[in-house]
Amino acid sequence: MSADDSTLVRCPSCGENAAPRARFCENCGTPLGAPDADPGTPAEVTLELAPIVVDPDPATGDSSARRSCAACGGTIAPDGYCADCGTPGQSERDHFEERPAGWVAGVCDRGVRHARNEDAMALAAGSTFAALVVCDGVSSAPDSDVASLAASRAARDVLVAYGPQGSSSVEGATSRRIAGWTDAMVAASRAAGQAVRGAAEQLAATKGTDVADDPPSCTFVAAVVDDGLIVAGWLGDSRVYWLPDAGSPEQLSVDDSWAQEMIAAGAPRAQAETSPQAHAITRWLGPDAPDTDARCAATVPSGPGWLLVCSDGLWNYCSDAHDMGDLVRRFATSGDPHTTAAALVRWANAQGGRDNITAALARVSPTVTEQR
Amino acid sequence: MAEFSAEVFQNEFLSDGATDVHAVVSVTCTGAGAAGIGAGGAGAGGASGVAEIVAVDTSGSMQGRNMEAAKHAAAVAVDQIPDGTLFAIIGGSHVATRIFPYPNARVPMVTMEPGARNEAKRAISTMAAGGGTAISTWLRLADDLFATAPVAQKHLILLTDGKNESEPTMHLDRMIADVTGHFQCDARGVGDRWVVEELRKISTALLGTVDLIARPEDIAEDFSALVRKSMARGVAAVDLRVWAPQGSQVLFVKQVAPEVDDLTGRRTEVNPLTSGYPTGAWADETRDYHVAVRVPAKPVGSEQLAARVQIAVDGGVAASGLVKAKWSDDSTLTARISPEVAHYTGQAELASAIQEGLAAKAAGDEATATVKLGRAVQLAAETGNDDATSRLRKIVEVENEEEGTVRLKRNTAKLDEMALDTASTKTTRVRRA
Repeated sequence: MSADDSTLVRCPSCGENAAPRARFCENCGTPLGAPDADPGTPAEVTLELAPIVVDPDPATGDSSARRSCAACGGTIAPDGYCADCGTPGQSERDHFEERPAGWVAGVCDRGVRHARNEDAMALAAGSTFAALVVCDGVSSAPDSDVASLAASRAARDVLVAYGPQGSSSVEGATSRRIAGWTDAMVAASRAAGQAVRGAAEQLAATKGTDVADDPPSCTFVAAVVDDGLIVAGWLGDSRVYWLPDAGSPEQLSVDDSWAQEMIAAGAPRAQAETSPQAHAITRWLGPDAPDTDARCAATVPSGPGWLLVCSDGLWNYCSDAHDMGDLVRRFATSGDPHTTAAALVRWANAQGGRDNITAALARVSPTVTEQR
Repeated sequence: MAEFSAEVFQNEFLSDGATDVHAVVSVTCTGAGAAGIGAGGAGAGGASGVAEIVAVDTSGSMQGRNMEAAKHAAAVAVDQIPDGTLFAIIGGSHVATRIFPYPNARVPMVTMEPGARNEAKRAISTMAAGGGTAISTWLRLADDLFATAPVAQKHLILLTDGKNESEPTMHLDRMIADVTGHFQCDARGVGDRWVVEELRKISTALLGTVDLIARPEDIAEDFSALVRKSMARGVAAVDLRVWAPQGSQVLFVKQVAPEVDDLTGRRTEVNPLTSGYPTGAWADETRDYHVAVRVPAKPVGSEQLAARVQIAVDGGVAASGLVKAKWSDDSTLTARISPEVAHYTGQAELASAIQEGLAAKAAGDEATATVKLGRAVQLAAETGNDDATSRLRKIVEVENEEEGTVRLKRNTAKLDEMALDTASTKTTRVRRA
């Protein structure tokens, strides 16, 4: 998140600005978006992302293991750059992927323009239950990458505790479970807030600085799938979308942002979201946050669809729920959340990758919801 | 044990859409040791030893002072060649003669020891001037002799006083190509009747230097310095390697200090992404290289490794410098030019302005000569090359140094023009704060 972002799509070849949904650059004809952006054959989108699911060290957010080049698949030389194409090697914190179950996966990526990946993601899933948490570190504050990772993991662990195998399992009829998960969501966001404060204090102690000086902070967004019920909770402008295969896509979360306040006051969405202060958030997690209770929303899907939890690094290029639905469908022909999430991240990078990008997906289908 | 280090000077920031990355890579060698010892201590005769040949012009034009001075210089060189070094002396005219070992000796080269030294000096004293000049035959004989020497480091000192007039230019060119990579050669011209361009062709291809010796009595001192320099080169064969990423293009690779030498055309392929350029033997010294690579533009914010500039000794990488590209829309970052890159770009242009200006002057094209030498005066001032400035002032009357306006002097000495020409590739190092 930063104030200079905009939804304008920039041609990676000539730099021309294009409309957000343009498939080709008006100026030079370079295909925009995915390299094979022919809407008729989205299956041709090829992915060269590592299939491994990696887990960065929660303490440092780092891992010494070398991965292959994210751009060309080549080997990263000891000097830190790809031996074939010269692209800088990514640290485990710069790009990681999780796939706790076949129907739940996410990709968290540094993007193009930012030096660090301050987005974080933590996922958990069983056969009918999934928890997806995304936190987006505020880039103006140092060490937000550490804070966001700590927050997302703390929140996921709380949500798992309320899950079917957890110590305080949410059970009962749908309305009861909505209430139970709303409580769980608030508990999760509070735990995430605690984790950010803990990380901030630890970092301040290590550096010998005051925790009140420029404390790290991050957004919070989480979604739970529990046997046919979806509950979302959030602080800030990371989002949850419910994108049914049939029917109207919707954004379940409502941004805590200046842009959203303008929209609520009647300004057109496009205008509000491209204004310089659009990304100023009004609620967040951090030592200086006034409160850390997530706002919640729930939905009971009537058919199969995709649940998307993402940071603004993705939705900046595709804000409207209908557009997002089209985009996800375009990349989701395989039905696999992992390749789809990777394709979404790749697409956002091709749009310019102006921010860190996180996309976490759950494929919610009647067969899953009817299993219990 | 010799150690190499590489330091990169560049502005890695590129503006949106920019593709060309320039860097100056400064390579320093320390602990080179002595030739034949530094590389492994096997001594002369072993694979890591040294072979030294002195080829002296014995054409008819050498008759008199030049011949006597050259003989004295060859004797001085023999004194400087340390015991244990394989050596030979060649006398060159329109044919090449092995002066020592004596033509009837059964060995092509001998190992230096006090007896051989005395005998070699005796042989040198018998050299007499006569005949024409066909330098290709000298190079052929040197190559044949070196071919028998099982050593890593081979060095020829070549002295002439005249034009290569007894054979077509093509013969010399073809011979230079044939022997390139077999040995290194420092070429020296004495007096003002030799052709700078001819000797420069030889020394450039054979990784050596060209210089003018104005007075015959200075030959001995120069030879002695050349032998000492050769013997200080403890690292036999060093390659500069440039890796550039897939889809990129190496625009040029130039040595820019101590002398300008465009290596681009001497490229050999190490692997599909890596080019190798031979740089010959190294002493304890620093050489600077200007590398330019064209990479496909990436979006603002992207980073890209544009080149790995490496020093390879015996096939292994001894030092490596990374040339980077970072695209930015911050013009305060992208507008800066690295002072090193700017300095050496100016010095390289200075060298060609001098050479082109003198060539135009020789061809009678005074207009071009005035413009080129004027530009040279301007560049020499801008880059602080005071030696070049003083040499230029012997050829031109400077009206305005900053604007590079000059008038050609009348009746300039041929030697002054040749001194300017031979020294044109010598560069000054950038003044580092």
